[in-house]
Amino acid sequence: MKQFSIVGTDVPRNDAEAKARGSAIYTDDIKLPGMLYGRILRSPFPHARIKRIDTSRASSLTGVKCVITGEDTPKIKYGNWRLFPDTQDEYPLAIDKVRFIGDEVAAVAATDKDIAEEALELIHVEYEELPAVFDVESAMQPGAPIIHDYCPSNVSVNRKIEYGDVEKGFAESDYIREDTFTVHAVSHAYLEPCAALAQADLDGRVTLWTSTQTPYIVQCLLASTLNMRENDVRVIKPFVGGGFGGKMELRTWEFCAAFMAKLTGRPVKFTLSRTEEFLAGRRRHPMKLRSKVGFKKDGTLVAKDLRILLDGGGYNAMGPTATFLCGNFGAMLYRYPNYRFHGEHVYTNKPPASAMRGFGAPQSLYATETQMNIAAEELGIDPIDLRLKNAQVSGDEIPDVATISSCGFVESIKAVAEMSGWKEKRKNLKPGQGIGIGCYSFISGGVFNWFNTQYPFSAAEVRAFSDGTVHLLTMASDIGQGSDTVLKQILAEELGLTMEDIRITSADTAMTPQADLGSWGSRVTLMAGNAVIDAARKIKQQLFGAVSARFNLNVIHEIECKNGRVQSKVKSKYGMSFGEAVAMVQKANRGEPLVARGSYTPRDKGLVTPAFGFGAQVAEVEVDRETGLVEVKHMWTAHDCGTVINPRSVEGQLAGSIQMGLGYALSEQFVMDGGTTLNTDFADYKMPMAMDMPPSEVVHVDTYEPEGPMGAKECGEGLASPTAPAISDAVYHATGYRCMDLPITPEKILKSLENGRSQEK
Amino acid sequence: MKHHIKFKVNGDEYSLAVDPWRTLNEMLREDLNLTGTKLGCGTGDCGACSVMVDGRTVSSCLTLAVSVDGKTIRTVEGLAPSGEELHPIQEAFVKTGAIQCGFCTSGMEMAALNLLSKNPSPTEKEIRAGLSGHLCRCTGYNQIVEAVAVAAEKMRQTRLAEEEK
Amino acid sequence: MRLPRFEYFAPKTLKEALNLLADQGEGAHVMAGGTDIVVKMNHGRLKPKAIVALEAIDELDHIHFRATDGLTIGATARLADVASHPDVLNHYPALAEAILTMANVEVRNMGTVVGNLCNAAPSADCAPPLIVMGAQVVLSRLNGERSLPLDQFFKGPGLTAMEPGEVVTSISVPVPPAGSAASYKRISGRCGVDIAAVGVGAMVMFDGDICKEARIVLGAVAPIPMRATKTEDLVQGRQWTPDLIEKAGQEASEESKPISDVRASAQWRKAMVAVLTRRVLQEAQARATRS
Repeated sequence: MKQFSIVGTDVPRNDAEAKARGSAIYTDDIKLPGMLYGRILRSPFPHARIKRIDTSRASSLTGVKCVITGEDTPKIKYGNWRLFPDTQDEYPLAIDKVRFIGDEVAAVAATDKDIAEEALELIHVEYEELPAVFDVESAMQPGAPIIHDYCPSNVSVNRKIEYGDVEKGFAESDYIREDTFTVHAVSHAYLEPCAALAQADLDGRVTLWTSTQTPYIVQCLLASTLNMRENDVRVIKPFVGGGFGGKMELRTWEFCAAFMAKLTGRPVKFTLSRTEEFLAGRRRHPMKLRSKVGFKKDGTLVAKDLRILLDGGGYNAMGPTATFLCGNFGAMLYRYPNYRFHGEHVYTNKPPASAMRGFGAPQSLYATETQMNIAAEELGIDPIDLRLKNAQVSGDEIPDVATISSCGFVESIKAVAEMSGWKEKRKNLKPGQGIGIGCYSFISGGVFNWFNTQYPFSAAEVRAFSDGTVHLLTMASDIGQGSDTVLKQILAEELGLTMEDIRITSADTAMTPQADLGSWGSRVTLMAGNAVIDAARKIKQQLFGAVSARFNLNVIHEIECKNGRVQSKVKSKYGMSFGEAVAMVQKANRGEPLVARGSYTPRDKGLVTPAFGFGAQVAEVEVDRETGLVEVKHMWTAHDCGTVINPRSVEGQLAGSIQMGLGYALSEQFVMDGGTTLNTDFADYKMPMAMDMPPSEVVHVDTYEPEGPMGAKECGEGLASPTAPAISDAVYHATGYRCMDLPITPEKILKSLENGRSQEK
Repeated sequence: MKHHIKFKVNGDEYSLAVDPWRTLNEMLREDLNLTGTKLGCGTGDCGACSVMVDGRTVSSCLTLAVSVDGKTIRTVEGLAPSGEELHPIQEAFVKTGAIQCGFCTSGMEMAALNLLSKNPSPTEKEIRAGLSGHLCRCTGYNQIVEAVAVAAEKMRQTRLAEEEK
Repeated sequence: MRLPRFEYFAPKTLKEALNLLADQGEGAHVMAGGTDIVVKMNHGRLKPKAIVALEAIDELDHIHFRATDGLTIGATARLADVASHPDVLNHYPALAEAILTMANVEVRNMGTVVGNLCNAAPSADCAPPLIVMGAQVVLSRLNGERSLPLDQFFKGPGLTAMEPGEVVTSISVPVPPAGSAASYKRISGRCGVDIAAVGVGAMVMFDGDICKEARIVLGAVAPIPMRATKTEDLVQGRQWTPDLIEKAGQEASEESKPISDVRASAQWRKAMVAVLTRRVLQEAQARATRS
């Protein structure tokens, strides 16, 4: 294995000091002269026709500078699947119809926030209420209310995967298990509510500062909805207070800020309230999953048939990708020689679901892993052994989809069993105590290009200076996960420089090289990391040439960048400082700055991803059998993310995933009454707090991903999946309650315990 | 009717006319441009807006600006002794990886300051209790808890060092 | 998310405050720590014409304990200060425990015990322990003062016996009788910022192993913090046995009148009343016999 000097060390975050001081600037922190404050009017109905909107009273309120409705806009639909325009089903502001409570109907810009808020109350909208539908099965019934005219079935996306012979596989199985699982919606609950600020430049360009994971996608879709050219729109991502998948599409307030800035000639800022975030914000897809698996007596998996209905809410958002991915995740982790998947994305009159950490995996793997634990018990095989028997390994092929490159799954399972004391603990459980396991696999970015970009998936520019420093420019977006730091570490390692020698400019579409698809799907480390290495190698090539020429080195001499020098590998005296080498190259080119561009687009990597991460997690719980309250006592995780570039960052991702997984399993949910979200604040949306977090231990399984930068791959997003099934399995062993419909609530546990008691009688 | 109020923030004196319905959070962020204090929920449930008023942490989103007349406020911008040096709490947050997106950070640091000023040697459980009410979606809290412990140790040592002088 | 327009007054004396309330009439609202009022205004559930802040009134900011008269808590005494007061910790631990389950450090630094009571949420954590300990509310108005047992103070969600122009100036709690102790427990889905889904407070007084007196109050399972009088009758004068505690739990559960809402179903709440009643009775008994 390669030895690294900066990669693999706990370099503090690039931005940590600014954030610690409170000087890091987030979108809502920016104030421009003459700036107006925007607010959005939202639909009070889940499904209604807009008959008339009267904005005259709002417009005449002193301080109101602009009021718009859908009719005032260019009426261009958008959506992230540009390759399939049919899937682009959303207008920036509703035209004719609203499809969920919170759907955006009109916008106001005023000289202060209070006036804008007051103006909303003065807009009169006449609605004609339409029958609404709130669950997937009803929405699929013939005669159900049609939510989008183009889609009378309400099924907007169909995705099928099939390989092997599933029916034959079941015929050859000794044990078949069929279960239906339902999983619920949860909120990203990033701490920073969405915000956007736009300014129209004098020469016709629009600049948008926005809290986004995907500046390039916002740039393109904003340009098209404004009827402008891509280059007429500049998107800048300031510091972002978390995204988790909830900030990766063009959103109404981004459009409205830009559109209204153009109309008024003044900067316009929108900042959402937490109530709006909970009431109308994107969320993780609720799904109904029917899974049938067949095993041989000895536990060998033979076949799987997976059918998933995704509850998409009123619009597609990132639903098409989630539909695609949940089917692929269904085929992951274990070798299924025969596999069939049918996924359908269904419209309902609820707030749209979209991408959220794990992107289809937490739902799909909750079914896979829970069913695996059920099967293990019924087959009389330890769940660890059943997994080891079927675990995917390096070189395994998923027909037409992917070939698994690096894979530390088996090692992860063994490690987690060992560190948790699995066998002993399982044998010696007291009533109310339980221990359970869940595993995951996840992608390192997607190879698909539904966005239809004409640019590389990731790009980097490196500018080298004769003072020994370099400047890295990339559109990759640090949203708090630490990608700026990781990319600097990779560059410092490649060029033999220190972190202090590197300046970085990122995520400004006018300044950084085209393009980057954004921070989602755990793609940045691998893809932007590879682009950085590509650019760095081009810089090195020129530096090596200069050093060879200066010392008249034979062509066989290998040269390296190390410790701030460019030198011969064998005789380091043949060399010079990095800055001197840059100066030489520059002189040889009549002062032309030393600049190189690098890029990465995955090729020949199947349909899904260039590399998969893997891992296993064990949870230990104690359940109060009188109240049904679950206390998670301990978590153990072993995972394979390839080379660990920044251990503290990786551990931070892991602990953050556990927090989210804990919430998904036990406490977080949207309480809905039809289309109305009843819990719209943090008091009733129960996110785990510092006191709720269990102690946890982690082992990084040592692998090296050949396609990844310096051997690295996915980390942190896949870990959103194993926590819920692990806790669920532990709760089963503590109480006998097997959760088939998340979340696991005290009420459900108590009911099951009561049923158990009444059966005993 | 606007109220004329006088108060100190991070050692600086301010005199301002404010509407009674303005919150301290708005006044700090909009009027004083002290944007290090964040607004995460507006209902006192997330802790991102915590500041010190007369030596104890409060939710600036639930505090009316008029009510700080005559009081002394400390925000995250007033934590570090200088532009060069960091406060031991900030230093620990940087070092331990307690900061990811950073949106909860200033509130967390103020909570840590509140806790350590009352209890210089907190147990892990006391740290977790002291941070409860402060939400973080990135870190899972563990590195934040570690940061507070590291800061406590450093503050105890420097206090010892001060005493020895 | 816009606070309504209101006038703000910060009187320095109680008299001034009462005069202001009289002048301002119905639209005036008294504010102590503001943690409930500002949230309500933020959600548009409260639109006062004027706010009379009590914070600057020195005579209301006190926590006193005397071995002869018991505890008085002034209207502006902060939750955090009450919970950490040595006399409260010594003589009224159940109150301190109840406060520490509430919200977060910031809210406890701002909010007051009296404010928690005046907000009159069915889930108010301070109410059950104070009622079982026999607390009295002292109300002042321009022409006098009256006091009222706390369990007669609550009239419904957000409603109290306070008349227009009145201010609750303090709460007084008698000295716990010899051989007695109290306990409060609550349940919610999370440790920190949370609103109790069910809370139960109990006070028991013993003579040997006979429970001479019992007071039990259920929180968040009725429109007001409710006395479980049938359960009290069941327990009082009886010998303390596990069977009695079991029965008390069942009785309290039957007496409770919870609703289903965003936090829990009525059915689960009823079950939890039984569990918590048993647990607080056990803890109170253990404390009483220890002391």
